[in-house]
Amino acid sequence: MSHDAAYWLRQIRSLHLTQRTRIMNVCGGHERSITMAGLRSVLPSTIELIPGPGCPVCVCPEEDVYQAIQLALQENIILVAFGDMLRVPVNVPKGEAHTLEQARAAGADIRPIASPQEAIALAHAVPDKHVVFFAAGFETTMAPVAAMVAAGMPENLSLLLSGRLTWPAVAMLLASDTPGFHGLVAPGHVSTVMGAQEWEFVPQHYHIPTAVAGFTAESLLAAFYSILRQLESGKVFLDNCYGTVVSNTGNHRAQEILQDVFSVTDANWRGVGIIPASGFTLQAAYRAHDARVLFAHTVDHTQRKRAGAMPPGCDCARVVLGRIYPNACRLYGRACTPRNPVGPCMVSEEGACRIWWSGGLRAPTAPTVSA
Amino acid sequence: MCLGIPMQITDINGYNARCEAKGVRREVNLFLMQDAALAPGDFVLVHVGYAIQKISEVEARSSWELFDEVLRVQEQGGYA
Repeated sequence: MSHDAAYWLRQIRSLHLTQRTRIMNVCGGHERSITMAGLRSVLPSTIELIPGPGCPVCVCPEEDVYQAIQLALQENIILVAFGDMLRVPVNVPKGEAHTLEQARAAGADIRPIASPQEAIALAHAVPDKHVVFFAAGFETTMAPVAAMVAAGMPENLSLLLSGRLTWPAVAMLLASDTPGFHGLVAPGHVSTVMGAQEWEFVPQHYHIPTAVAGFTAESLLAAFYSILRQLESGKVFLDNCYGTVVSNTGNHRAQEILQDVFSVTDANWRGVGIIPASGFTLQAAYRAHDARVLFAHTVDHTQRKRAGAMPPGCDCARVVLGRIYPNACRLYGRACTPRNPVGPCMVSEEGACRIWWSGGLRAPTAPTVSA
Repeated sequence: MCLGIPMQITDINGYNARCEAKGVRREVNLFLMQDAALAPGDFVLVHVGYAIQKISEVEARSSWELFDEVLRVQEQGGYA
């Protein structure tokens, strides 16, 4: 039997919480639900809800976006990407295209897509062109991309892959001197694919209470209660508050397809650096469809200033890691808004800055994450 | 982006299904659901055009309500 939000709030308020408790989420969808339901304002003031690494577009390497722009500017190439990627800025001198959107305005053939199926359909429709699918995303998105590859791709379609795994970023934070959180809300639909058990290492190795949550206020509040109760009792475990959708072992077939098509490699996260075993790369059998192989020599990052970095003044990297709240960035709401975004966290629908702004949090003065 | 939207299957043809959610129709790929027995009338979570999980009707309806609520709040410019 499921309880409503008021029930879980009463349960949370019945706990004897005196310590400041920071609960991190690692999913843009969770952060959106928390912000839009106003959950921060109804919880006891000792509880902080921190958006962490939950936005694959935000951490997509600057070098990859730059390469996508350069490929798109080639005469015979059509570049497709999920819509969020089109406004992500790279660091180039004034006058050069600093987003895919600007490259498109300059004549490049760039098309936003909502599904890998659209990339397949386009490649079939334009056999004399080469279509590059620039794909960023976490496991939930990479499983469909892997399915597209496994089902067979047209010869004139290749992948510029910037897929990432979610858990290694959490593992990196936990292994650091300052993880910055006392409890973890594990992602709902990443866990749908990969299984809740992927998060078992957090309570087991780091003794951090963890709960998988869905996207309703009830499910999120149930997860917060579970985490707080675990902290109070000292009995730490992996809870699943989204059991109607997430099983312990996930979608086996999707995991097999991911393994058949991709291998896991150390990968760069924009503004963060290399995180071990955190990126997907195409298996050697698919080299003929790997844009990184096909177009290996088309870009040179050594001559570019600030290659790989976040835009000047942008604090996205610290926002992504949950080190500061979005509105603690000095650009938030001033130089950086969804209309004129400076950093990727204000571009992407999953970026914490964008979500906070959409939620009406306009003042660039609210508290920072306490140390 | 890591958000699946519940849809109801209306028709299946191999790995392709026609699905519907609140009057919106979409072609949905079932390649990731090869181990699941699916039939018209079933509900699935759909992400970037691919079904990733079979779900119950109750779960689907509760998610639809949630998305309506989130959209309503965003249109009003948020709570804060």
